[in-house]
Amino acid sequence: MTKLTALLLANFTVPENIGVNPQSMLWLLPLVASIAVVYKATKVPKIKAVGFIRESAVLFGSIVVFMVVTALVLCAMAWLITE
Amino acid sequence: MAQRSREGHVVFLLVVGLLAWLVPGAGHVMLGKKKHAAVIFVAIVLTFGAGLYIGSIGVINPIGAKPWYVAQVMNTPAVAALGQMTKTGNYPVYGRPNEIGQIYTSIAGLLNLLCIVNAVYLAHLSKDEDVGD
Repeated sequence: MTKLTALLLANFTVPENIGVNPQSMLWLLPLVASIAVVYKATKVPKIKAVGFIRESAVLFGSIVVFMVVTALVLCAMAWLITE
Repeated sequence: MAQRSREGHVVFLLVVGLLAWLVPGAGHVMLGKKKHAAVIFVAIVLTFGAGLYIGSIGVINPIGAKPWYVAQVMNTPAVAALGQMTKTGNYPVYGRPNEIGQIYTSIAGLLNLLCIVNAVYLAHLSKDEDVGD
């Protein structure tokens, strides 16, 4: 038990190995999910499982779509300026 | 719900805010919103824990990353204790793990700040009505 606890705590003292590549951008997805869930928890007067999950999913999708659109617009602008 | 005096109401708001800062979701528990509290607690603790796991406790850096640290302390005052441990420089972290860890832990703190404000606002409204589940 002590070894297991020590092993668990040790995981928090050494950073994970995450490369600088396009796939590392996917780390934003869990963060966006967390933001959507907490924000909705502060907004809805009553929490009912199905409705809450649906509303959080809609907000999650909205944020992701907005970020993708923003990224595409910035890419297009960069391409227009540099070409 | 029984009416509180003006001074009693201010103390109540302070207690709710302080509890919400000490433990994410505790302010909502005090208001009887247990489902909200559970969702807030799980989401914030998971986000903060994920940030610490990715970047290690070294992402809490009260000397080299003060603005991030201010946001991180919004999670709970216990983060300040971690800051005392890490300011010795024994937990170095650089590059992408540092960035992702700092972003996760800081966003978790800012989300908790949102919940603190929300709990205090609901506590203020509860002066006139019962806001529980």
